[in-house]
Amino acid sequence: MSVNAGEEKGIKETVRRFILSSIDFTYLDDDDNLFESGIVNSLFAVQLMTFIERTFSIEVGTDDLDIENFKSLNATTAFVLKKNGRRNG
Amino acid sequence: MGNLQSALPAEVSEASSRSFSMRHLLTDQQEVRHKNFKAFVTLNVEPVAEQWDREQRIPDSVISLLAKSGYLGCSLPPHYGGQGWDTVTFGLLNEALGRGSSALTGVLTVQAMVSIPLLKWGTKAQKEKWLPPLAKGEMIGAFALTEPSAGSDIQSLATGFIAEGDHFILNGHKKWISCAQIADVFLVFGKLDQRPTACLVPRDTPGLRVEPIRDMMGFRAAGLAELHFHDVEVPSANLVGKPGFALSHVAPIGLQYGRISTAWSGLGLLRGCFEESIAHAATRKIGNNTVGDIGMIRSLIAKMGTDLEAGSFLCHSACRAEDDHLPEVFEKTLMAKYFTSRAAVRAASDAIQIRGASGCHGSSPVSRYYRDAKIMEIIEGTTQIHEDILGKMFVDRAVRLGQ
Repeated sequence: MSVNAGEEKGIKETVRRFILSSIDFTYLDDDDNLFESGIVNSLFAVQLMTFIERTFSIEVGTDDLDIENFKSLNATTAFVLKKNGRRNG
Repeated sequence: MGNLQSALPAEVSEASSRSFSMRHLLTDQQEVRHKNFKAFVTLNVEPVAEQWDREQRIPDSVISLLAKSGYLGCSLPPHYGGQGWDTVTFGLLNEALGRGSSALTGVLTVQAMVSIPLLKWGTKAQKEKWLPPLAKGEMIGAFALTEPSAGSDIQSLATGFIAEGDHFILNGHKKWISCAQIADVFLVFGKLDQRPTACLVPRDTPGLRVEPIRDMMGFRAAGLAELHFHDVEVPSANLVGKPGFALSHVAPIGLQYGRISTAWSGLGLLRGCFEESIAHAATRKIGNNTVGDIGMIRSLIAKMGTDLEAGSFLCHSACRAEDDHLPEVFEKTLMAKYFTSRAAVRAASDAIQIRGASGCHGSSPVSRYYRDAKIMEIIEGTTQIHEDILGKMFVDRAVRLGQ
């Protein structure tokens, strides 16, 4: 299934707004590493997971527990698209 | 000392605090269930809670009664034998039990702290194997996270797993583990090649020794114990989640339910303090007046009643966020647990003050409330850890808004 560029952008901006509302930053690059930079608190990982589960109606399972899926805006967007069957993993 | 027992019927003091129970926020079904929970506690818990506290144990028959009532698996889906109740109802159950015995509520707390992470992160085979007995209360779980040198600083876990073929070798030491004296299975946290890892370990596994901890200040019947793991062989199939994610994804799901449970249990304890206090204030005579005629006593009761109202809304708000799967649930739950545990300590202290000497004696539950409330400020994250997380969150938000 092809990926609609507008859909991808919409997901990315939705996630970006959530992340910026959760961390002490006003700007976030698409590839900024959230976890290596130390800018997130100890609850952020489960908050981000809960947010994407609810917002995009997906369920994060044990097989999805891979830092590569959540390390950045681009990674999270790709993960959401993959879970929704919009992009091959 | 004389007979200082309250002459106000229990149902009158209970009715006096009913308006504080956020009843307008509850569905009819939630309100009916809450009433049933309270009736259960009045019949099965309140008359014997002091005895459990003195003997430092909860009888097996009471655990069986919790199981038979479906309370131990109330949050698990019916598919696994649970009740499938919403989180608000889980909270109401903890509130009702908290009024009677914080130690008994502890069983509910840790059962959820094991079963809910398993529901989220367990494999299909793990869920089919472990959740039905946990849901039916045929098996009691315990959450083995804290260590002698790793409490608030949980990243410094020293318990270690070593991979060996199709199993792990577990060595380490856990301490202050609630319900470990009676638990059948432990959700154990440690590190595998420096990666935080969680694993289910049955009690009867060779190499595991359970050492009871007695003479706690509060939660005396909660069955705390130390766990000693010496070359314990655990099948790889018992791994919960993936190595590396135990502290970021597995433990927070358990702690979240632990905090919900503790927040509501603290609220129940607070209601107990309020009901005991107004009963005493309304009936205890001082000359031609009652204790409740004294302005300074009214001041203490005013604080208690207001805390009860505020705590009710915070607890309800946290559970609604959990039921709606909102990301702010973690923040709301921190606030609810932080508020009710501190309010419970204040209320228990004031309830003793209002009752005077009789409040210092085991014939009134308020002295037990005082000891139990202090524990609530420590379990599932201390008051200071809550302040650190919440304070940073609020300041960061203000900084962002100012930019």
